[in-house]
Amino acid sequence: MAERREARAALDEARERVGRCLGARPDEICFTSGGTEGDNLAILGAWRALKAKGRKTVVTSPIEHKAILGAVHQAANEGAEERIVAMTSDGVVDRRSFDELVDDTVSVCSIMWVNNEIGTIQPVPELAAKAKERGALFHTDAVQAFGKIPIDAQKQQFDFLTISGHKIGAPKGIGALFIRRGTTLEPLMHGGTQDRGRRPGTENVAAAVGLARAAELTLAECEANCARLLRLRERLEAGILAKVPDAVIHGRDAERAPHIMNVSVPGTDSESLLMALDLRGIAASGGSACQSGSISPSHVLSAIGVRPDLASAALRMSLGSLTTDHCIDRVIEVFPALVAKARQLTAAQ
Amino acid sequence: MSGGVDSSVAAALLVEQGYDVVGATMKLFCHGDDVPDRPCCSLDSVNDARRVCEQLGIPHYVLNLETKFGHDVVDNFVEEYARGRTPIPCVRCNTFTKFRDFLKKADSIDAQWIATGHYARVVDGELRRGVDENKDQTYFLWGIDRSVLSRMILPVGTLDKAQTRARAHSMGLEVIAEKPESQEICFVPDGDYTRILEQRLPSDAPALSRGPIVTSSGKIVGEHNGFARYTIGQRRGVPGGFPHPMYVIGIRPTDRAVVIGTRDELMGSGVVAREVNWLTATPSVGHRVSVRVRHRAPLASAEIVRLDSDEIELALDEPVSAITPGQSMVLYDGDRVLGGGFIEASRGQRVALPVLAA
Repeated sequence: MAERREARAALDEARERVGRCLGARPDEICFTSGGTEGDNLAILGAWRALKAKGRKTVVTSPIEHKAILGAVHQAANEGAEERIVAMTSDGVVDRRSFDELVDDTVSVCSIMWVNNEIGTIQPVPELAAKAKERGALFHTDAVQAFGKIPIDAQKQQFDFLTISGHKIGAPKGIGALFIRRGTTLEPLMHGGTQDRGRRPGTENVAAAVGLARAAELTLAECEANCARLLRLRERLEAGILAKVPDAVIHGRDAERAPHIMNVSVPGTDSESLLMALDLRGIAASGGSACQSGSISPSHVLSAIGVRPDLASAALRMSLGSLTTDHCIDRVIEVFPALVAKARQLTAAQ
Repeated sequence: MSGGVDSSVAAALLVEQGYDVVGATMKLFCHGDDVPDRPCCSLDSVNDARRVCEQLGIPHYVLNLETKFGHDVVDNFVEEYARGRTPIPCVRCNTFTKFRDFLKKADSIDAQWIATGHYARVVDGELRRGVDENKDQTYFLWGIDRSVLSRMILPVGTLDKAQTRARAHSMGLEVIAEKPESQEICFVPDGDYTRILEQRLPSDAPALSRGPIVTSSGKIVGEHNGFARYTIGQRRGVPGGFPHPMYVIGIRPTDRAVVIGTRDELMGSGVVAREVNWLTATPSVGHRVSVRVRHRAPLASAEIVRLDSDEIELALDEPVSAITPGQSMVLYDGDRVLGGGFIEASRGQRVALPVLAA
C-alpha cells in the first residue's frame, strides 16, 4: 500500500536526518519517547547486557538529571555497584575522581554534557575517551547540549547519547538515543522488532519527522542562536548583579551553555520569588519539583557544595528562541524589586 | 486549597465577588508513597485543587511548608503523646502554619487577604462561630495572632455544609462537590496515630512501653502496651468485670500508669489552660464565659477564677466530662470567640491527679 510505504519512507528518512545531525549512521539512531527513556535505555540496557561479563559497576555524577540518577539507582537495586564522581565547586566533574573511579569493573559511565540546572559544560569527549581506554561504555545525556555544543559521533567516543525533542522545538513525547554500532544493549520493553528490537512498539512517525526537522533547524541556527543567547544572558546577569551585587550566579567560573542562568540571592526563598515572578508573567523555576509541584532544594546545588540557605533561594532562568531584549529588560526591572521586597519581609520577621 | 469542597467553594465565591484570587495548596508532609484514598493532602487532592483553579481561571501554586510543619506540628504531636497528653495538631497548624508561615507567602506576593474554607466568620475584626453549628471550626482557630483577623476572609462561614455542596454544584465544581469529609489528622496515613509515634519515638520510649492499668484507689487491674495509646474518656482497651462502665480518667507518665474510673470520676468541675491567646481584649477574673473543652462537645458555662500572664483557670457551673490535657479550651461570649488555651489539667475531679510539669 502506498500509504504504508509513505510512512515507512518518512520514518527511514527521519532516522537518517537525525543521524546526520549527530554525525551518526541511521542504524545508530533509536527513537524514544524522550530524554527519560533514552537515559534509562542506555544505563539499564548496558548494565543488564554486561553484568554477566563481570562488569558490575556504574559510574555517574551527582548532578545528573533524575532520569539518570533513578536508572543508576535501579541498576544498584539489581546488584550494580554505584559510584558517584566528585564535583568541583564550579559544577564540573572532577577529572581525577573520574579517573580513579572508572576501572575495569565498570560497565557504563554516564555524564551529562550540559547540566540542566546551572548550564555547566562537562568535558564529555575527554571523559568518553578515558572510559574507552578502560573498556567501559560511555553514555552522555545531551538533552541540554544539542544545538549548543558541537556533537559529532564520528569524532567523539561516546557509545550512547540521549536527546529529547521538546527541548529543541519538536513535539513532546519524542527523543532519540544514539547507540554506537556494535554496542550490546538489552531492550527495556519486549515485543515486536521495531527499531531492531531495541525499542518494540509502533513508531511515532509524525513525531519522529518533527524531531528530525527540529534538529536540522536547531543546527542551522545554532551559531547565530548561541551568540544571541549569550549576549542576552550576559545582559541579564550584568543587569541583576548591578542592582543586586551579592547575588550568586552558580557555575559562573566554569564554561557554561548560553541558555541557562541559575542565581541565588541571600535572604530570599525561591518559592516566594517564583510565585511573585509567575504572577508578573515571568516563568522561572526552582530546585526540583516533586509530584505535587512543590519545590525542594536542588540536588545539583547541594552536590556542588552550595550552602543550604543559598540553595533554597536558587532560581533558574532559561533563555530560548522566544526570549527577546524586551524580556531581559523586564526581568532586570522586576527581579531586583522583588528581591528588595523579599529582603524587607525577611528583615521584618 | 486542600482540594476539598470547602476551600474550593471559598475560592469560587471570592472569584464570583470579584477578588483577584491566587490559589495555593500547602504541602505539609511526604509519606514517600502516596496514599490514594485519603480525602485530604494526597497527591490527588493537590490535583483536584489545581483542577478547580484551572476551572476558576486563577493561578495555583503548591507551597512546600514541610520543614516548618514537621517542626511546629508533627514533632509537637509526638512530644505531647510522649508526655501522656492528647495533642490537637489542627490548632497548631492553624496557629503556626496556615495563619503565620503561609501568611508570609501571601505577603511575598502582596496579597492583602488570606482566605480559607473554615466554617467560622470574621465580623468587625472579631472571630465568630460559623453559621453551621455542626461544622463550626473555631475550636481550632483560637490560637492565631489577633492581628491576622483583619486579613482573614472565611467565605463559607456563613453557609452550612449542604449549602456549600449546593454552591459547588451550581458553580460547576463537580470534581470536588461530593468529596467526603476529612475527619482524620492529615499526616496520619491510615487513621492510626500510634504508627507515627512508633516511627518517631525510640522503641523503648516509656509512652509505648508496657505499664499498669490502675483504678483511682491505686489497685492494679491490668496491663497496657503504652500509655500513648490511650486518651482520657476512652473505653477501648479498658479491662471489664466492673459493676459500672469504666473509662480512662488519667494518664500518669511518672509510673506509666493508665488510671481508670467510673463516669462520675471522669467529670471535672474546673479547668486549667496554658499558652493562652486572646482574640479580643483580655477579660478579667470573675468574667462569665461559655467554654468548649473538646471539639463538638456542648458549650458549658463557667467563670474565670484565675488569670496569670500565660495561664487561666475556670470554674465550671456544671461538671464536664473528659477534660483532657493537650486538647484546647476555647472561650466564647455568645458566638464571639474570646480566646483559648491548651488544657493543662482538670480540677475538682474526685481523684486528684498530679499536674504535669510543663
